[in-house]
Amino acid sequence: MAAADVRDMLDLPAEGQPRPHKKQKVVEKRPEGITRELYALLGERAPPIAINENRYKGRPKWMSKLRVRPWRMAPFTNEARSDGLVLRHWQRQGDTAKPALEGPETEGEEQKQDEDAPQTPDQEYLFAKYNVKARVPRRYTDEEYNRHLKSDDWSRQETDYLMDLVEEYDLRWVVIADRYDFQPHPVDAETNSSALVPANQVRTMEHMKARYYFVAASMLALEHPPSEMSEAEFDLHEKMMKFEPERERARKELAALQLERTADAVREEGVLLEELKRITANEQNFIAERRELYSRLEVPISVGNTTMYQSSQGLSQLLQTLLQADKSKKRRSILGPEGAAPSPAAQTPAPNANARDSRGETPSNAPAAPTNKKAAAAAAANKEAQQNIRTLTPSEEARYGVQHHDRLAPGVQFRSDRAQKLTQAKSNVQTQKLAAALAELEVPLRLVMPTERVCKEFEKLIHSVNLLLDARKVAEKVESEIRVLEAAKQERERKAKEAKEKEKPEVKTEQDDNPAPTADVATESTGAASAALHSAEGQAETAGGTENKEVEAGSGDTGEATARESTSQKRSASVLSNTSDKSTKRQKK
Amino acid sequence: MNPSIPPSTAEYGGDEVSAIVLDPGFSTTRAGFAGEDTPKSLIPTYYGKYTSEGQERLIFSDDVFVTPRPGLSVHNPMGRDGIVENWDMAEKVWEYSFTSRLTGPRPGNPFQNGLNDIADGELPTEMEGVETEEKPLADSPLLMSECGWNPAKAREKTMEIAMEKWGTPAFYLARNGVLAAFASGKASALVVDVGASNISVTPVHDGMILKRGVQHSPLGGDYISSQIRALLKTNTPQPITITPHYLISSKTAVDAGQPSQAKYKTFPPEKAPDASYRTLLEERTLSEFKECVVQVWPGPNKLSATGPNGISNEEVAKSNPGRPFEFPDGYNQVFGLDRYRVVESLFDAKAAIPDPESPFPSPTQAQTVPELIKNALNGVDVDIRPHLLANVVVTGASSLLHGFTDRLNQELMQTYPGPRVRISAPGNTAERKFGSWIGGSILASLGTFHQMWISKKEYEEHGPTIVEKRCK
Repeated sequence: MAAADVRDMLDLPAEGQPRPHKKQKVVEKRPEGITRELYALLGERAPPIAINENRYKGRPKWMSKLRVRPWRMAPFTNEARSDGLVLRHWQRQGDTAKPALEGPETEGEEQKQDEDAPQTPDQEYLFAKYNVKARVPRRYTDEEYNRHLKSDDWSRQETDYLMDLVEEYDLRWVVIADRYDFQPHPVDAETNSSALVPANQVRTMEHMKARYYFVAASMLALEHPPSEMSEAEFDLHEKMMKFEPERERARKELAALQLERTADAVREEGVLLEELKRITANEQNFIAERRELYSRLEVPISVGNTTMYQSSQGLSQLLQTLLQADKSKKRRSILGPEGAAPSPAAQTPAPNANARDSRGETPSNAPAAPTNKKAAAAAAANKEAQQNIRTLTPSEEARYGVQHHDRLAPGVQFRSDRAQKLTQAKSNVQTQKLAAALAELEVPLRLVMPTERVCKEFEKLIHSVNLLLDARKVAEKVESEIRVLEAAKQERERKAKEAKEKEKPEVKTEQDDNPAPTADVATESTGAASAALHSAEGQAETAGGTENKEVEAGSGDTGEATARESTSQKRSASVLSNTSDKSTKRQKK
Repeated sequence: MNPSIPPSTAEYGGDEVSAIVLDPGFSTTRAGFAGEDTPKSLIPTYYGKYTSEGQERLIFSDDVFVTPRPGLSVHNPMGRDGIVENWDMAEKVWEYSFTSRLTGPRPGNPFQNGLNDIADGELPTEMEGVETEEKPLADSPLLMSECGWNPAKAREKTMEIAMEKWGTPAFYLARNGVLAAFASGKASALVVDVGASNISVTPVHDGMILKRGVQHSPLGGDYISSQIRALLKTNTPQPITITPHYLISSKTAVDAGQPSQAKYKTFPPEKAPDASYRTLLEERTLSEFKECVVQVWPGPNKLSATGPNGISNEEVAKSNPGRPFEFPDGYNQVFGLDRYRVVESLFDAKAAIPDPESPFPSPTQAQTVPELIKNALNGVDVDIRPHLLANVVVTGASSLLHGFTDRLNQELMQTYPGPRVRISAPGNTAERKFGSWIGGSILASLGTFHQMWISKKEYEEHGPTIVEKRCK
């Protein structure tokens, strides 16, 4: 009876781990150089000593098949030399053209070349090609020198000497400056050594460079006038002409200073550099984080209409379609591309149930009615659990950021979005005005830090800005009415005057009746308008206060108050306008 | 292949033409075939001279040390400043260095070896051709090294010897600073060469020395020996005299600090070797002492300075365990602080142990290693100074003093806190000892170098002055 059967009978779970395999007998190979009998005595566990014969590592087998290639001492000449010096080196026989380090050749060729002369003239020495000289400008002729290159500072001899050195040391300025040792008129100096020896100027590298570049550039320009130069040549010419020895000297002085800094200076510099690095790294970090945040905020902007997904029904529909798409994809991948499309009738119920289940599990989707009993039970359990939960004090709530909402909009949304929605008025003009007001207050259109409190304050601010805008609209309207009325009044007065002049006694009664109330109305309305303006100003001030985040608790109240006031004014204004309308009508009569 | 691109580092650009590299120094002369990693022939530059049977005889190589012949005097053809003084003997010593081990003795003139005696009246025909065959270097190009301040006269003389006496087909004279830089794989470096007679600092740029930066001072290995002698003279229990091995017939072991119990050999005055012989052998003991005992205070700061925690560096050095040394006569002693003091004057001239009898005048601060380096750097263009500081090559056998590179590094870091200081000193003793020879071995086995040789033809055309033009 196997163990599996016993487990089966006792209803034990299947074996957790596979049974260990049978120990495999490790048959160690008997090393060479030890007899079988002796090896048997060692037992199973051989001692950790290597038993091997002392012998050289053999050559790999394929090597023994190769034929040894003969080498011989062969003379050679070097093309980089002008004197034809013959030196001797080892060379593989029959391989004279190629150096030993290049790949092997076929044997046939080798044999053919075996009798070749040691080195035929056309075989170039391998290393001759590395004899590269720096390109130096063509030497000037006497005439050219006299015409273009004369200098007060540099004699012809010294210029020649400099050019020789430059050529000799391949433009290695460090070496040239080191070896520069010009003896003016060596012959003269020898003949009359007692005579006044001209002060041997110390030529610095900058002097030499300046002179050489001038000569080289001039020679270049003589060969090709600058207009005909190739780009590279022109660049070179420009560079050489623009060499400033003074600046170079100053640079070197600075470099020397830099080199001879004290340990303290070096340490300080290190500390400062470290600090700078830290600061820039911090800034980079901050910028990166900010960008990431913005990109997150910007992503949800979708072009499509999302209203259909705002309701729970819409959401579940979306979920269904997504699931369906998912499932069909899976199915297709299993069935292969030609897999029959499953009938929608068979498929729909399952995702529906799925969707419901998943919805039941997510607690945020509270409004979804618990249709089945399970969900109801879960809700009950939730309730019970809630009773066990201790209630938080308001300060704690504030601390943990717990918020209570009267009504939750379905789905996830950003607080900043909500705040932003406020800035969108119904009409475009209004939106622009709002934006202008916010800009004037230096409040960003998108909140920098949309916390709950800030959003609330923002809401208030937007509300008051709206009120202000309304008030302004009304004020403007009233003002224009006043203007109209005043104009009408003047007209009327003028007419009245004219009438008076024509027929004085007749119109008098009418005149006495009218003017007083209209004037009254006018003053009243102007008073109302000015009041509205004042309140608007106050509003603006409080708005400024919120922007600075020094929101007093009372500001909301004042806002409300002003709002109430302004509404009342609005009403009064409309009443007034009504009355004025009446009066004008009356006048017309 | 593009000729303007040098061979890549992995590519082997060698082409050996069985050139001989000869690196003559004050203490030893190194010679060997180019392409090998150590010189095959290493002989002391000292040679012995004595008269026997009315004839003056010379002893070269290690044989000098072996037998105290009567009247044997020891000489050195090189001057203390590294420039040859006695050209005849220098030629002989150098020739010995390569003929003894490398080229082998030449077969004598077949007309004169007695085997081919010609009948009288018959003139020897090809005498001229035979004569060239006799010259020791007839088929090996020769690369020789010289110090950076070798005067033009000496260079021409060297070339003359090589061409006319040795008959080399091609010759080149390279600065040993450059060669040491090549040995550590650098074309630009600041080479600090601590030799037997000299410390030299050579700035090398693109394989050429910068003459205005070359500095040297006599504080070499022999100076350290003189400092040790001064120390031994003023040793506290009793002054120590160095008795070389050849003067000791037997000795018994004694405790540390106890007077030696040895039997001495005595030479009657007419049979005794010259005093210079004894000095040379004492020098051998001293170099053993340098190898075993002497240590450079590793820094930071001088030995006489006070450390950061208020303890003077001397106290710290004292607390380090001492090192015992047994002299040939059996006297032995443990050397504590003293072993630091003898080399401190390489870095701090004030720390020199005064000794009026020493042939070396007390050093000046300008002769110390950090000052030499400073002066060398001030002599070159400011643009390459940081690069040189990042490539300081330490070579020369005396630089093998324990802790020398550490101290040098500390000193340089203190003097130049800004730029990066990097010392490259091979840990391998042979590479340090034969730095410039190895560089020569590399150089003379490069395929691209073969265009640089001064050939016999060129020498004949231009005379010895060509060496100034070609070996820049």
